Amino acid sequence: MAKIGVFVCHCGENIASMVDTATLVRKISEHPGVEVCTEYKYFCSDPGQETVKRAIRENNLTGVVVAACSPRMHETTFRKACAEAGLNPYMLEMANIREHCSWVHSDKEKATEKAIEITRSLVEKVKRNNDLKPISVPVTRRALVIGGGIAGIQAALDIAGAGREVILVEREPSIGGHMSQLSETFPTLDCSQCILTPRMVEAIQHPNIKVLTYSEVESVDGYIGNFKVKIRKKARYVDINKCTGCGDCIQKCPVKKIPSEFECGLGNRTAIYTPFAQAVPNVPVIDTTRCTYFKNGKCKICQKTCQIENCIDFEMQDTFEEYEIGAIVVATGFQIQDTSLYGEYGYGKYKDVITGLSFERLASASGPTSGKILRPSDGKEPETIVFIQCAGSRDPSKGVKYCSKICCMYTAKHAMLFAHKNHHGRSQIFYMDIRAAGKGYDEFTRRAIEEDGAEYLRGRVSKLYEENGKLIVRGVDSLLGKPVEVAADMVVLATAIVPQPDAKETAKKIGIGYDEYGFYNEAHLKLRPVETATAGIYLCGACQSPKDIPDSVAQASAAAAKVIGLFSREQLEREPVVAGVNDATCAGCQGCIMACPYNAIDVRDINDRNGNLIKQVADVNPGLCQGCGTCVTFCRSNSIDLAGFTEKQIFAEVMAL
Amino acid sequence: MGIQEQYRSEAAALLSSGEVKLVIGFGPGSTADRRRPLFARTPEEAEKLVLDPACISNLTTYLVAGGLLSDGKKVAIFLKPDGIRSLNILVSECQVKPEQVVIFGYAIENNEIRPLSGRSIGDFAEIGSKIRTATPPPAVQKEAERLEAMSPAERFEFWKEQFSKCIKCYACRQACPMCYCRRCIVDVNQPQWVSTSSHTLGNFEWNLVRAFHLAGRCAACGACDRACPVNIPLRLINYRMGKEVKEAFDYHAGESSDQKPVLASFSQDDPETFIL
Repeated sequence: MAKIGVFVCHCGENIASMVDTATLVRKISEHPGVEVCTEYKYFCSDPGQETVKRAIRENNLTGVVVAACSPRMHETTFRKACAEAGLNPYMLEMANIREHCSWVHSDKEKATEKAIEITRSLVEKVKRNNDLKPISVPVTRRALVIGGGIAGIQAALDIAGAGREVILVEREPSIGGHMSQLSETFPTLDCSQCILTPRMVEAIQHPNIKVLTYSEVESVDGYIGNFKVKIRKKARYVDINKCTGCGDCIQKCPVKKIPSEFECGLGNRTAIYTPFAQAVPNVPVIDTTRCTYFKNGKCKICQKTCQIENCIDFEMQDTFEEYEIGAIVVATGFQIQDTSLYGEYGYGKYKDVITGLSFERLASASGPTSGKILRPSDGKEPETIVFIQCAGSRDPSKGVKYCSKICCMYTAKHAMLFAHKNHHGRSQIFYMDIRAAGKGYDEFTRRAIEEDGAEYLRGRVSKLYEENGKLIVRGVDSLLGKPVEVAADMVVLATAIVPQPDAKETAKKIGIGYDEYGFYNEAHLKLRPVETATAGIYLCGACQSPKDIPDSVAQASAAAAKVIGLFSREQLEREPVVAGVNDATCAGCQGCIMACPYNAIDVRDINDRNGNLIKQVADVNPGLCQGCGTCVTFCRSNSIDLAGFTEKQIFAEVMAL
Repeated sequence: MGIQEQYRSEAAALLSSGEVKLVIGFGPGSTADRRRPLFARTPEEAEKLVLDPACISNLTTYLVAGGLLSDGKKVAIFLKPDGIRSLNILVSECQVKPEQVVIFGYAIENNEIRPLSGRSIGDFAEIGSKIRTATPPPAVQKEAERLEAMSPAERFEFWKEQFSKCIKCYACRQACPMCYCRRCIVDVNQPQWVSTSSHTLGNFEWNLVRAFHLAGRCAACGACDRACPVNIPLRLINYRMGKEVKEAFDYHAGESSDQKPVLASFSQDDPETFIL
């Protein structure tokens, strides 16, 4: 006979103010099989849990229903309490009378009625619960970090520092990401490359880190602790093990006028190239779309120049490598929005209207102008630069709704750098608000204004046109309430940060969620900010949302801490909520195998005693199954059941309503 | 030599050589215009095979009955295009291995039998490709359009009246080649999702469950419709489900034997209209 204990929680006033708990207790006490039913202010408190445990022991309860909050809150708490009192933890059910009832209703009488129904249906379910035992699965203690920008590098270094193996995958020819393109970094104005390159070198030299550049993740299978990842190593046409990085091939390459992606088109590169001087690894790749040999079948000058035999190989093919991985850190970064959508700013039309990222290259000592800020159109030094903030961000009509977060800071930095390099120069900044929250950030923007003479004009730019070699910027100063017109030599747009163009495809490949823009979703914005909804996959850097370097690094270390925590155990305990197949009734249509998002189902032969095949049935691997129930809903003959949510349980739950 | 005689002698040859263990075809029926399935296991039995325009049943149903193919031996079967379409679906759902089936294909056109060339499923790719452009029989289309023009309330009344006739004999299930489950959902009584008594609610449950189970799987052979002793126009439900699947996923059931079952497979281009 079932002996069920029901514990009705007031959750302070959260439940008690909208649900008449005394009536609930009275009604539930009358329900068949309910042995004990009590109420209390906070069952999650110590004395509350003690009450539950005592009731289990004193009444030999066979099942427990806690009518309180969502199972996402306190299911674990009460499962532990049950276990401590000697009851199988899976003989507990949470009746959610808070989120599903008291919080969403305003009629106490009806809410009480609903709470009774919810609780009653869980009593009926728990009567049909079975003892379940957790499943142990081994953990492969090797991490995959996708993206070799500062976030990915930091995460890889932290995990490797804890003694675990890391595979760091970067799709560009070199690690470094966007940070390697920056000149100085706010708020301390230290040279970006000077602080980044030691990290890059440390990563490639680290005995625990395997850096795979010019590589992309092809597929991800498996589950936490046991992922199988296939990586495509794109053909470099240069043998990474033989190349000494002497650069002779780059010198001799006849195709020299290719706009360099790294220099934002402000400089050129060759067809065989490394993206920048400090590239890690310092091994070039051949751009087959531009290489004369790949286009015309003739040239091979680089190969003739190369002093190492067979180092440059035009026959090289993409290769694939497969790795067993325990945890994945996604750090795929961002892109900047294409600003040509603002016709009024003339981006793409006027050469001297550039993006903030291009300005970084102009200001960078390693850039195309060796750090001199010169106009792209004629190479002259500009006297007046207009900076337009929010050129895309916070603009629901044309751009994106969100704030790109870093633009206020880098625009102030740009104005400072300009002032330091051209003492007569004027910086005029059109802004909506100055958002400078962060350690030393507000002081930094104040310094730009007070010491380096940046002129901030609060307002938007409506039009921009060229006249007599000047860019005429028309806008409004909303503080004065007057239109303004500035004759500028150069205009810098603080373009919006957007996800990588293929962010959504990547997310689908890895199996994580994303928002309307393509930024990856965290499991909980406040409490689980570096975890994704998929166990064992973590996030860091700007692939989650626009972030500056300090935030990206902090999040990378946080993600690494999660991975290291996971790798601290040899076995992982998993919920025994997994699917099982009824061999006798399975029709072997194999639809579940296809429908399973975790590849957890396989075919198994059923043979007679002489080894003759009788039939084939579906077979669930409990180690892989995540208990999502997709197969259960698919199975036409009802031959699959999910432990903890069996058809019998669900049916009883529904029928009790 | 007519088609009937040609297929007869070929079937007999297959049986006598032992290449197939069984030929599923048609034999004489209880009246002059009816044919019933004939299962020939010997060359002599194959001589009784009949092939004429009255051979309208979809015989694939018998391929999936009672573990017929589990011994790996071959079976020959008489199929018209809708049967070939059913066979494609059965292959894609792993119920039949294509190499186990020898097909005697035929079409009925203007009350004449026309042979279809080819003996294995791969030879009939053209039939699959025609499904995309095929239109349902005029009678079905006309009636379907009439129903679609109704208001939901009128349509509900229509089906309520139709389903009230259902006696839960499950003849539709027995006739349907897609109903190959060893245990039908309606026979599950722990718990009893579908009530078995033939009142309107239970009848609705049964017929709708079957309609959903056939979504993206129906070859429109009409076997259920013909089998129904109380003349419920089941074809119309399946037609509508097929249309829904076609519009949502550009999927035509039975187009080829290597298509993936539509409701079990995912594609990145699947419509996500259900996400608000």
